[in-house]
Parts: sequence; structure tokens; C-alpha cells
Amino acid sequence: MTVTTQPSGPELADVHAIVEQVWSSFLGDEEPLLPRYADAAEEGTPAFPAEHVWSAAVSVHGGWTGTVTVELSSSVAQSLTRLMLAMEDEPLDDAEVADAVGELVNMIGGNIKSLMPGPSALTLPVVAAGRAAHSSELAEVARFDAMWNGEPVRISVHAPQS
Amino acid sequence: MTESPMTQRAMIIDDSKAMRSILRRIVSGLSFETAEAAHGQEALDQMEAGFMPDLCLIDWNMPVMDGYTFITEVRKRPEWRNITLMMVTTESEQGQIVKALAAGAHEYVIKPFTPDAIVEKLELLGLVSKGVLA
Amino acid sequence: MAPASFQLIAALVLRETSIIYEPRKEYLVEARLHPLAAQAGCASVDAYVQMLSINPVERRKAIDALTINETSWFRDNAPYQAFTETMLPALMANRTERRHLSIWSAACSSGQEAYSIAMLLDQHLPAGWTADILATDVSTAMLTRVENGRYSQVEMNRGLPATSLVKYFTRAGSEWEIVPALRKMVRTRHLNLAEPFPVIGTFDLVLLRNVLIYFDQPTKHGILRRMHQHVASDGYLLLGSSETTLDLPADLHAMWDREQIGRVQAHRPAGGLTVPRPSSTTFSAALTGARP
Ligand SMILES: C[S@@+](CC[C@H](N)C(=O)[O-])C[C@H]1O[C@@H](n2cnc3c(N)ncnc32)[C@H](O)[C@@H]1O
Repeated sequence: MTVTTQPSGPELADVHAIVEQVWSSFLGDEEPLLPRYADAAEEGTPAFPAEHVWSAAVSVHGGWTGTVTVELSSSVAQSLTRLMLAMEDEPLDDAEVADAVGELVNMIGGNIKSLMPGPSALTLPVVAAGRAAHSSELAEVARFDAMWNGEPVRISVHAPQS
Repeated sequence: MTESPMTQRAMIIDDSKAMRSILRRIVSGLSFETAEAAHGQEALDQMEAGFMPDLCLIDWNMPVMDGYTFITEVRKRPEWRNITLMMVTTESEQGQIVKALAAGAHEYVIKPFTPDAIVEKLELLGLVSKGVLA
Repeated sequence: MAPASFQLIAALVLRETSIIYEPRKEYLVEARLHPLAAQAGCASVDAYVQMLSINPVERRKAIDALTINETSWFRDNAPYQAFTETMLPALMANRTERRHLSIWSAACSSGQEAYSIAMLLDQHLPAGWTADILATDVSTAMLTRVENGRYSQVEMNRGLPATSLVKYFTRAGSEWEIVPALRKMVRTRHLNLAEPFPVIGTFDLVLLRNVLIYFDQPTKHGILRRMHQHVASDGYLLLGSSETTLDLPADLHAMWDREQIGRVQAHRPAGGLTVPRPSSTTFSAALTGARP
């Protein structure tokens, strides 16, 4: 019987659609989010940088269990914070950036939760300056890489190793 | 319901300052006077202290008191029965929507949304009439 | 984008859809083509426009991107309220034998208009009655969307009451899918309003909303003239909220009566019967597509 094994993760196309919608709703579509497929990422373009990065994660527990993580360069994080707060040139503090990035992962994570068997609960976001670290019990089950304004954005989904 | 010539008031309840700011810009544009709270308890405290909203925009997942609990608390108070409650949340499982409506939410907007979506829902609820936007 | 590219694309859109893009809308054309150009690997919108002359698939995509598909559930609310409160009871009173209603959504975009009506019919049409809704558009991409009946989260938020969301839709991945009962009420057909209409019969209600604004005067007038024979003599034609004050030539003006229903103005065929007429007329007209 397959009833007990949870589907490992969401379809990449669905993750892409969700990220796209969150992006265009709040950040406008003048500057499109351009998907970066694995092969294009391999040739030439450097891997996701280790510095000047923000990361945020939410976890889902219940019908499906897993973690949704957003990583973006600090310049993307700053731009999206300014757009969400409608601030032009005033200086931003880290708390404001953390709040905006946290809301971003909350929106993406909540919608990814609805793709999976429910009911499940969503945790509050955890935000950090720097790359995300994942426990070794979790395996990556979906990843969406994109470029915005020439800077990298990554959304990844991790679930327990079955 | 009676038409009041006074400015309508909206309470925006969300733990994200960025999201409160987005919602505030939308409802202020519809000439609502606004107050903000970072969770359900803070909103209840402000209402007890005298800010009586016509409309609450309510996130679901928040620290201290979540939006679902906030709705059930408001619904316990007969003197608050005229307040329109609208969830604005990333919770989008069908079962959750049904649960919120059963608890007394009047409308439900799923994040992400565009500003039009909020305006159109408020039109459905009769809180905003088309003329306001012209 | 270069003026020559703009002229090329504007001419293409005009030829295929009759939609007019004036030079001051250049920014809009550029914004809508930019993502397509990037996807197609073109260095600029100009290069993309060049490519359109040799690539029919991209040409279709560009036209679809430039037909304005903006729509929402129960758009403007008032027409739908007038439908349930006034038009539906009046139409039903005249059709007690046939017990069937035909409705046409004449520039249906992604289908929100047609399915909004389907929801109201589901709620207000008594048992024993049936209805069909014809949804037409010039954009084949839009017709495919109507057939799929799937909507993104962002689209679902636009004007759809939460109670209807849980009643009429189920989750399908990142989208929501309309329930089969409503899906079955709606059929689609490709139809360019700017050209002579095919044989499609008459309808009790025609929604021709938020599309005339994109055409020039002669095209608008031609459509309203041709539309006359497709509205049942006691039926209704609904235009968009900014489209009812059209300046019409005298003869065309005389073809339509205007009736204020709540906050909306409905057009009705002039000289039409507002009292019950022999039901056999309705019957044969609808069956054969013949004009009364
Ligand atoms: C702004 S939408 C209106 C949708 C809907 N009627 C409403 O009011 O929400 C306009 C629609 O008209 C369609 N359209 C444009 N030119 C057309 C033509 N010549 N014939 C038929 N449909 C056309 C477009 O493809 C688009 O879907």
C-alpha cells in the first residue's frame, strides 16, 4: 500500500506558478522574474553566492511535512522591501528587510502547503542574513531558480528523507 | 444597516509590517481611517480601548493570537456584531476557508492579491460603492 | 521600441482583431511584448517584432498578449444583481413551457463572465429548467482557458464571494477548477465580433461588456446593428458600464430601447414584446437558429 508514504514534494510547475503570482502581485511586472533552468545555471553562471544573501523559511506540519525556503541577494531583498513599504530613498533597517522577506516566504509557503495533502499547519517564518542551513534529515524535493534585475532568487522545498 | 456619514474605520491585523503597509495604502485610498495590530490580542485591546472598526482585515497565522481565534472572540460579543470581518491570508486550503466562514468571517482573500481584489471584495460587502473610486 | 516596429505590430493587431492601438499606447505594447521577447531569446522588442513576420506561433502569442483580457467575477456587481432580481424572473415568466434559457457571453475573455452567470443560474433556476451559455472570443488562447475552467489564486480573489469559491471550485495544483456541473453549461466558439456573425441563433441575454471601447465608431455601430437579431424580442443586451452612453446614428438608436434596472441600463430590441408571446415562436427560433 502506498497510503503511508507522503508525496515527496510539489510539482515544479506549480511552485513556479505560485512564485510568479506572488512576485507580480506585489512587485509589479515591469521587471519580470526570469526562470533559470538547471542547464543554463550550470554553464558559466556562478552558483548561488554565499555572501550578501537573505534567507527565510517556513515549515508545514500535518498531511504533508516539509520546509519552504526563499533565498535572495540582499539587493533583491532591499528592492522588494522598498516596494512593499512604498519607500523610495529613506534608509531601511534590517528589521524591515527581515519582515518583508518573512512575509514573502509566508505567502509562498502557505500556497505550497495547499498543493499538498492537508490539513496541515504553517509555522511563522524564520529569517536570517546569510544562506539557509538544512538539517541532514531533510532532502531537497523541488527547487526553483530565477533571476530578477540580474540578481539570483531561489525557492526550495525540503522534505524528510523517506 | 444604517448609512453613516462618518468616516469608516478599518483595523488591519497582520504580523508583517510590510503587509500592513500594503493593506493600509489600499483602504486609506478608499477613505477608511485605519489602525494596525500585529496580532489578534493587540487588536482586541485597541477595540476595548475605543477604536471601533467597521471592517477588520485579518491574517491567519500570527503570534500570541491568530486570526481564527480573533474571529471567534469577536463573534462572542453581541455589541460587535456589525463589524465586517475579512480574512486576508496565505492559508488557502479549502477546508480552512470553510472553517473561517463557519466561525463568522464574511469574506476571504487569499494572498497574494492585487489591490483590485480588496476593493472588489469591499464592494461585494457593500462597504465601498463604485463611485468612491471615480 | 522603434516607431517602425510599433506600426508593424499595431497593423497586425488591427487586422486580426479590429483593436486599435494608438501611438501613445506604445509603452503598453512594449511592456506586454517584453516578457515574450525575453522568453523567445530576443535581444530587444524590435528583434521580436521582426521575428513575428516569419513565426506564426509567436505571432499568435503576441496577438493574445495584446488583446486586453482584463476581467473579473461578477464584474461591476450591479448587472448581475439586476439579472437575478429582474431579468431572470421576467424571462422565466415568458418561458414556462420551454423552461430553457440561452445566454451569450460575447467577448468572454477567460470565462469569469460566463461562469458568474452559471453560478447565478445554479442558485436561482428552479428544478426542471435548463440553460446554456455560449462563450465566444477572438482569442483562441482565451477560449482554451474557458474550456479548462482553471483559475489562478490571483484571479480567484477578484470579485468571487468566498462562499461561491468553496461551493463551485476545487483545488487543482496551484489553481482552482470549476465544478463539472457549471462547466457543462458553458460551450465555447471562436467569433470575431468585427466580422459578420455565423449562425448562432437568438439569446435571452447577451453580455457584450467591455469590448466595444476598443473599436472605432463604424465597427461599434456595425456590431450593435448585427447584434439586434440575436437578442430575443423580450431579451436583454448588457454593455459595459462605460459603454452605454454611445453616440448612435438615429436609425441604430431607434433599433434599441433602453431600460434602467437598478444601477444598470439594459438594451432591449425596440418594438419587442414585453408581454408573453406564443411559446412556439421561442421554441422554433431557438431550435433552428431562424430569426423571428
Ligand atoms: C476586457 S475583456 C472583457 C471581458 C468580459 N466581457 C468582461 O467584461 O469582463 C475584452 C475581450 O474582448 C476580446 N476581443 C477583442 N477584440 C475582439 C473581437 N474583435 N471579437 C471578439 N472578441 C474580441 C478580447 O480577446 C478580450 O477577451
